[in-house]
Amino acid sequence: MSERTVILVGNPNVGKSVLFSKLTGKFVVISNYPGTTVEITRGEMLFDGERYTVIDSPGVNELAPRTEDARVTCNVIRDHPDGVIVQVADAKNLRRALLVTYELARQQRRVVLVLNMMDELDACGGHIDTRKLGELLGIPVVPTIATANTGIHLVQKSLAAAAVPRLEGEPFAAIHRLLAQTYSHVRPRQPTFAQKLGWWAMHPLTGLVLVALVLYVTFWFVGLFGAGTCVDALETGVFQRYISPWAIRLVDAALPFPHQHETEISDLKLEIPFSPSRGWEIWRNQQQVLSANYRSEAGGLSRFVHDFLVGPYGMITMALSYGFAILLPIVTTFFLVFGVLEDSGYLPRLAVMVNRVFRGMGLNGKAVLPIVLGLGCDTMATMTTRILETRKERVITTLLLAVAVPCSAQLGVLLAMMASISAAAVAFWFVLMVGLTFLIGWLASKLYAGEASDFVLELPPMRRPLLSNVVMKTWARLEWYLKEVLPLFVLGTAILFVLDTFNLLEKISRWAEPLVKGWLGLPPQAANAFLVGFLRRDYGAVYLLDAAKSGALTPHQVLVAMVTITLFMPCVATLFMIARELGRKTAAAIAVFVFVFAFLVGGLVDKGVHFLGF
Amino acid sequence: MMNGKPSRVQCPLCGFEFEKTDSVCTHGCPLGRFCKLIKCPSCHYEFPEPARPFRWLAKWFHQPRVRAGTLDLTQLEAGETAEFVGMTPGAEARGRMLAVYGLTAGTPLTLQQKLPAFVIRVGETELALEGDVARTILVRRRAVPATG
Repeated sequence: MSERTVILVGNPNVGKSVLFSKLTGKFVVISNYPGTTVEITRGEMLFDGERYTVIDSPGVNELAPRTEDARVTCNVIRDHPDGVIVQVADAKNLRRALLVTYELARQQRRVVLVLNMMDELDACGGHIDTRKLGELLGIPVVPTIATANTGIHLVQKSLAAAAVPRLEGEPFAAIHRLLAQTYSHVRPRQPTFAQKLGWWAMHPLTGLVLVALVLYVTFWFVGLFGAGTCVDALETGVFQRYISPWAIRLVDAALPFPHQHETEISDLKLEIPFSPSRGWEIWRNQQQVLSANYRSEAGGLSRFVHDFLVGPYGMITMALSYGFAILLPIVTTFFLVFGVLEDSGYLPRLAVMVNRVFRGMGLNGKAVLPIVLGLGCDTMATMTTRILETRKERVITTLLLAVAVPCSAQLGVLLAMMASISAAAVAFWFVLMVGLTFLIGWLASKLYAGEASDFVLELPPMRRPLLSNVVMKTWARLEWYLKEVLPLFVLGTAILFVLDTFNLLEKISRWAEPLVKGWLGLPPQAANAFLVGFLRRDYGAVYLLDAAKSGALTPHQVLVAMVTITLFMPCVATLFMIARELGRKTAAAIAVFVFVFAFLVGGLVDKGVHFLGF
Repeated sequence: MMNGKPSRVQCPLCGFEFEKTDSVCTHGCPLGRFCKLIKCPSCHYEFPEPARPFRWLAKWFHQPRVRAGTLDLTQLEAGETAEFVGMTPGAEARGRMLAVYGLTAGTPLTLQQKLPAFVIRVGETELALEGDVARTILVRRRAVPATG
């Protein structure tokens, strides 16, 4: 069995990743916007007893290393000089695809041309004579509909026949001649509803209405349904009632030492939220449950192990219940909404709507994609900043993500904290965050040398999102999230546990008192939240949420805590990602800035609100 | 990537148009750091940089010097179809970038909307552009809407 390499190359958003997963059986994140694949993915394919290595590359419009992802693609092509290139083309955009074919021909590469999305070409009234195109170019040309599994087998069969395309002379003229011989077009029928929706999404007026609608639906689904109903069901209904008491009893039986756990009343209420203020209650039930708290001085080693598992900072009672019961439903609902938005093709149109606003921050509308993704996961979003063209834009976007864009987990927690403060305070928090985002963006764009790139953005067609793809994508992202997050949760809890066991928590609280109590006006115990916040911002927020719920914080303090924790350090994973993308120096600078800035603004809010007498 | 609008000035004496960075005075002048004068590299005439309101006014009265019959994209009405001609002088790099979207000389394009950003359709590709980019795209009106 010999080994061969197949490289998938093509314009952005033509379906390389779909084809990749169909060829190799491996799932990759696929969306309906250009620039989803920012890294190369490898997979294996068996065909006719031959083993092939298949490489999926980021989409390129030309083989010039102008952006980060184009550089990745160019390197892949260069590093595999005898690999077969499968050029994937959007059949509707043959002209653009042929420009890439031309460059591949100049590099003397063996190519198979795959014309994907033949169904959409058909729908818009176009026709391509694929056989003639293949004859003229001297390479196999395969029509496919990758999402419907049509033509995949033909792609595999034609790999052996790959050849260097015949395209000579001035590129534009050569391509024009080719198109004239193979492409025909009948006037399209009436614009479809999807097309109209696409236009409405970019209209100055209806566009804004759509933005508001999308925001409201997202808020309802993620903020109220995910962070409210689902979290209640999982946290109270599953963890507090069954898993924690069960674990406590089990550990108590295995490691007996004299102590008595306290009991608390667990109040479970399930509702379907119809409006932000009032939900429709379906079911309510109160029950006595065991809590992790207890009073006892005895113990020794068994107490140590007991506390490690089911104590107030226990792995089961804290790490797993926070990770699975509070964050998982929030993140899941967010990724579902985000998946639907991406696949519908709405996000680039949102970029069109916000371009002017983003211009003021030295960015252009394209930056809306990483920013919106940042509302899901800042780490993932930091990686996606690669779609931006200049370093200046990447640095500013990364900075904004680090400072002011709360990730879905954090957002859910913040939404829950809002319940304990007045509507005016919520509005204040929101306006302050948006204002600071613009201020930081504006300042950064003035201070950081360099130019923003032109705003030229390709708009993918609006499509009805495929449920299976949205679910698969959400699943892939959740898997990634759990792999990244749960270890950090366990680590964070372990650190807290060690600090608590050796009474260091109190010492740190005392040591941080001037900053936390003197400057921020919060109880000294809140220092723990910031300590944990180093590991994950959302985790720190969960910690504050518990304090807010139990009444340890006044509404005024809740507001200060919310402001500080929103602006606080992104999680450690984000920091690592920033260091990987922009270098350690920039990452360190961003970290220091965020730290100082969060406490500065938090303190100012505290003093300001006191001064105004609220 | 390129955005040369504010740094381009025109010499009021000889009419030569140049980038401001080309016009640094003789090196070693002790006043060099504070000097606000621009020196034309063609005729060596020194003149103060036109102030903002003047530049703003000039923008209104300035007529783009292009061949007759060609317009820039901003002068088209929404919904009109025209033929792509080329780029304004100085925007060639941007033209190469647009070419990969299929925007090559002779290609028909349709202007779909102008606000909040320009959206054009080239073949089956929809492209969003901002005003600064649209101003550098030259087109010619066509009698018959084209196919393809």
